[in-house]
Amino acid sequence: MYVPFFVRSLSGLLLLLAAQFVFAQAETSPQSLQSLFSKMSRASQTINYQGSFTYEIQSSAVLQGFRISHWVVDGVEHERLRYLNGAEREIIRHGQTLDCFSPGDQLLRGNLNHIGNKLIGLDDFYQFQIRYTERVADRAATVLQVIPRDAYRHGYILSVDQETGLILKSLMIDNAGRLLERYQFLELDLNPDVKTMESAPPAQRQHVASTQIGDCSPTQSGQPQNWSLTWVPPGFVFAGQQKVRESTDMLMYTDGLTTFSVFIEPVSVDPPEGAGQRGSTVVYLAKLMNDDKMHRLTVVGEIPAAAAEQIADGVKYQGGNTR
Amino acid sequence: MTQQTNSHLLAESISALADNQASELELQRILKASESDPEVNATWFRYQVTSAAMRGDLPILELSDFAARVSAAIDQEETYIAEPESATNAKKPVGWWQNLGRFAVAASVAGGVVLFAQNFNGISETAPVVASTSEAQVQPAAAVQAPSIPAGYHAQPLMARAVGLQSGYEPRQSESRQVVFIPRQNGSQVTSQVSGEEVRDYLNQLIEDHADNAALNSGQGMLPFARVVLTEED
Repeated sequence: MYVPFFVRSLSGLLLLLAAQFVFAQAETSPQSLQSLFSKMSRASQTINYQGSFTYEIQSSAVLQGFRISHWVVDGVEHERLRYLNGAEREIIRHGQTLDCFSPGDQLLRGNLNHIGNKLIGLDDFYQFQIRYTERVADRAATVLQVIPRDAYRHGYILSVDQETGLILKSLMIDNAGRLLERYQFLELDLNPDVKTMESAPPAQRQHVASTQIGDCSPTQSGQPQNWSLTWVPPGFVFAGQQKVRESTDMLMYTDGLTTFSVFIEPVSVDPPEGAGQRGSTVVYLAKLMNDDKMHRLTVVGEIPAAAAEQIADGVKYQGGNTR
Repeated sequence: MTQQTNSHLLAESISALADNQASELELQRILKASESDPEVNATWFRYQVTSAAMRGDLPILELSDFAARVSAAIDQEETYIAEPESATNAKKPVGWWQNLGRFAVAASVAGGVVLFAQNFNGISETAPVVASTSEAQVQPAAAVQAPSIPAGYHAQPLMARAVGLQSGYEPRQSESRQVVFIPRQNGSQVTSQVSGEEVRDYLNQLIEDHADNAALNSGQGMLPFARVVLTEED
């Protein structure tokens, strides 16, 4: 299942915010952060809202507009993301129940055990700082800077709505301080008409997104089948596995804020190898040999290219059951 | 005949460059040709006049000047691309990333220059990959404690760029968000017979699949789907 949107994380971050206010500059204890986290995300999941935002990436002049709708009926969340430019298209997600959390959400809430029984928290991998307040989408927001503690993930500058905890603006920033992507709300309606949102006519093209991959609210991170990753950046945990496009194994990883996916597909000719990028997303292609069987290995994620390459270098076939 | 075909291809490449849609290879080819063939410079000039006329009063760029600046940037990087088998370079093997770095320097100059008279995209996209990689290699696991607030983020660089330079000009939307892919090179031998176009399509599909993961596990709800490129076909 999945959680609403900006909400969970945001709320989580808001929690962090609150925690920092409470504890000032002192080291905040993970426990207090985490209790705040879960309280906040609980509150913000249940919000109905509708708003429009823009999205753009470094390196492209195109500004894309979206409208997001989020509503809850009988404890089940519904979401619609509609493209406002170009081809008429939307992405829908239905059916996330409020009591089911993805591995990423569990990480945000501090409920996912990792490496023995050590509880990991976001603040082990990111440093959070409050910068200033600003006005976004005609609302008061607190600007939160999220700085990675290592070179394996990007940083963020988030403008968090002071009333709801929704993220109104997000900049993703690489280690050299370059802006990779930005989205920003233009307006936000916290009292949208649910009936209207439910009955909105579908777009010409509709994609229904997954609402759950793997177990509901896992408390232990699992391991992938058939493959093993001998190295992932610290803090990243396995978040699920699925088959995509017939024969491709997709392995998912998250640290709570950032994700990457590993795709492995059998091929008969030498696959292309190299690195690519679009905006904040990096791809790294390599060839993987398992005895005499050749596979195309691709790492995709919003992570630095060097991390993607290092991840790819560590992917190994792990016999056992072949399904 | 071959020559005619070449000059035709070159003209197409120059046209692509004028639209800022040229690939790295095309850029290299144009630069090389411009050293010996005055027709290349003339063609570039004509394209610039045409597009400047369409846009109004933008400064016109001389290709010779452009070439000199890019070449100078490449020359400065020359030490990194010595022959791998050269004894003096034995302890510093030349990897494909170094080659990339060379492209990136050229690209950053080219990007800056083209930006002046043209829209912004494509060429300069290689720079972030290279830069972040080399930086990470220099200090692998070192904790990045202080940093990473972009110097100019208060100034909203994206907006400045988009508004200041783009007004009224909409680049080809489908292409402007393409993946920039840099194949790995093993010596002079190209390892794959797959075309760049196929690679891009494949990567766009994977990025879409990856959005499912990101939307579930990055706490940002459906935002990651904003990163998926819209394709006209399914």
